[in-house]
Amino acid sequence: MKGWLVARPDNMSGDNRADGPRRSQQAPLLVAPGDDLGDSGEFDAGHGVLVMDGRLRALKQGRMNNRDGTVSIEPRRTAYVPRPSDLVIGYIEGCTSNIWFIDIGAPFNAILPMSLGPSKAEFGGIRKVLDIGDAILCRVQEVEENHSSVVTMKGMGLRAIRSGSVEEIDPHLLGRLIGRGGNNLRQLKEETECRVIAGDNGRVWIDGDLGGIIEARNKLNDLLEKAKVAEYGGVA
Amino acid sequence: MGGYGDVQCIDENGIRLDGRKIDEVRPMSIEVGVVPVADGSARMTWGLNDVIAAVYGPMEAHPRKIQRQDRAVLDVRYNMAPFSTTDRIRPGFNRRSREISKVTAEALESVVLTELYPRSKIRVEIEIICAEAGTRCAGITAASVALAHAGIPMTDLVVSVASGKVHDIVVCDLNKEEDNYGEADLPMGILPNSGELVFLQMDGDLSPDQFQEAWDYNMEAAKVVHKHMVEALKRGEA
Amino acid sequence: MAIPLVPKLLRAHLAELAAEDMRHDGRGRFESRDVELEIDCLTRAEGSARVRMGDTIVFAGVKFQIMTPYPDRPNQGGLMCSAEVRPVAGRQWEPGPPSPQSIELGRVVDRGIRESGCINTEDLCIIPGEKAWQVILDLFAVSDDGNLFDAFALAAIAALKSATIPAERFEAGEDMPLEVSKTPIMCSYHKVGGRFVYDADRREELGGDERIHITLGDDDHVHSLQKGLKGIFTAAEFAEIMNEARSRCAELRDLVDKAIEGE
Repeated sequence: MKGWLVARPDNMSGDNRADGPRRSQQAPLLVAPGDDLGDSGEFDAGHGVLVMDGRLRALKQGRMNNRDGTVSIEPRRTAYVPRPSDLVIGYIEGCTSNIWFIDIGAPFNAILPMSLGPSKAEFGGIRKVLDIGDAILCRVQEVEENHSSVVTMKGMGLRAIRSGSVEEIDPHLLGRLIGRGGNNLRQLKEETECRVIAGDNGRVWIDGDLGGIIEARNKLNDLLEKAKVAEYGGVA
Repeated sequence: MGGYGDVQCIDENGIRLDGRKIDEVRPMSIEVGVVPVADGSARMTWGLNDVIAAVYGPMEAHPRKIQRQDRAVLDVRYNMAPFSTTDRIRPGFNRRSREISKVTAEALESVVLTELYPRSKIRVEIEIICAEAGTRCAGITAASVALAHAGIPMTDLVVSVASGKVHDIVVCDLNKEEDNYGEADLPMGILPNSGELVFLQMDGDLSPDQFQEAWDYNMEAAKVVHKHMVEALKRGEA
Repeated sequence: MAIPLVPKLLRAHLAELAAEDMRHDGRGRFESRDVELEIDCLTRAEGSARVRMGDTIVFAGVKFQIMTPYPDRPNQGGLMCSAEVRPVAGRQWEPGPPSPQSIELGRVVDRGIRESGCINTEDLCIIPGEKAWQVILDLFAVSDDGNLFDAFALAAIAALKSATIPAERFEAGEDMPLEVSKTPIMCSYHKVGGRFVYDADRREELGGDERIHITLGDDDHVHSLQKGLKGIFTAAEFAEIMNEARSRCAELRDLVDKAIEGE
């Protein structure tokens, strides 16, 4: 991993996904892109870190972590980039006679072929099954090299979402929402008596009675505020 | 030391119209998060310049023909608001803005890891709210802070500074009068951590020695500006 | 402007909230977001204002030019108001020539100011038939989180009230303040979940139906109305929001007066 001059995905560590690490950790040091983070002989490059000329260099603004010999950055913001088997919440954007086009909040839209849809549709009757503007809980089946992806609704619990509310958070904050061993999420569900499903694309489906939804949304907003403070060295 | 036209830009003590010495940078401030609905944003005041930069994306690239199969496109727009100058600017197509947008995009593309987002688009909007001199430099600088604020991976920030010559004296960071009545303008885009360049323009007349002097002024000024950029990013949203 | 997808879930959720007389951010039906108004914030403009309503942020800037009066009105100057919502203000705003949406914004604000008669165009005349002032008001959106109309209208009147005619620069006498005799104020109501709410944010605009803009003058006289977007409303609904608009306009008028007095 030494001596690369040009930044390319293949000279970054396997952990260096465009949409950020899935777990967040405490870190003391704030860095900006371009900052020198030390010699690459000592540490491996994790998320948001690139090896250039034998030195570790920050690619993002955020907090630096140094765990188990790997230097990584917990970024301020991330965009979702799909990976196979991600659970995501999407909206139907359009359709042809046998394909739905799904907005999954990624830089590129996904398709849902009729064969992977929730139920059989007659030719020409695709909108009776899922109509434009409908929300769905689905799984990413396949991501092509050029980032276009295929989603499926075949699987446990995958379905059309017909009630409740969908909120959006940055994907790298999912770790905070879910908590160690799913503790935070479980607590949120218990306190609000809501069904809460967090998609890997940062869309969070909250379903329950109206009071519970509002309470859950307020708690979600509190979490985002706390994350903002933590980012800049405050107490989370 | 003499006057040029009827404007005397530097007095006999080497003090400029705005009270600076010839090697001093105008006062500046940078703040991030000024466009709450954007994915990343920054506002930079630099002298009387007031610039807002916002970043959206990466997002799907439309129309299809602008897509690049192996990387994201940076869709940069530099624009001067109608009320940003003494005489009002009519909104609409403008050759100067187009050129500045192009060179800004190319400067920023040199540091952004566009390969991570094939076939998508990252929108960078630079709006000059108030113009003095060196709006393109303030625009590039603010845009690179906004990109970092949006979490777009990049190998370095880009600092842009312009030095030039007025009354045959090389001065750092031109102000409005020096830009109007001066004899040369040398804007550069510098990578602060390596001292490499990603943007370079020049117009006017400089001797080899003067050119070197202006070049060195820019390199020194870049360090000052870079400090402000990093501080703004680490300070976070107000 | 790109037409964004309207999730059915959002509409259903907003309707559910409306049935309980609630809003998604906890506001009351006719409650506004926090409003900030700042004047003289643009160095190069002869009059300027910045308005922030929640996450919606706009600027208004006033510039002056010398024009030749129109032959049929030789002793009158002119007022021009244009709004440009550039792609900086949001994901949905696209580059290119002004969209119908931003043209509507500019024209509705323009009508409210023009028809209130707050600027006497005869005062703008320098030499009848030869020279007169043209007042140009440019509205500029920085961040669109809903209700650009009210933000623009508020910034517009505040910018005009703080403007100075730069006569010395044009060698046309001494600099003097622009006379603005009235304070027209716009209040916009958006139908969300089947009833009108005041100061809708972006989410409510996305999941809502029609909107109505009301501009009232100092004496509660109506100066401009505009119904926008698809939707049907009743006379009773209109009477209700008109009544609300009267008290809200008075509050915002005080806000403008205070900002100008505090100058």
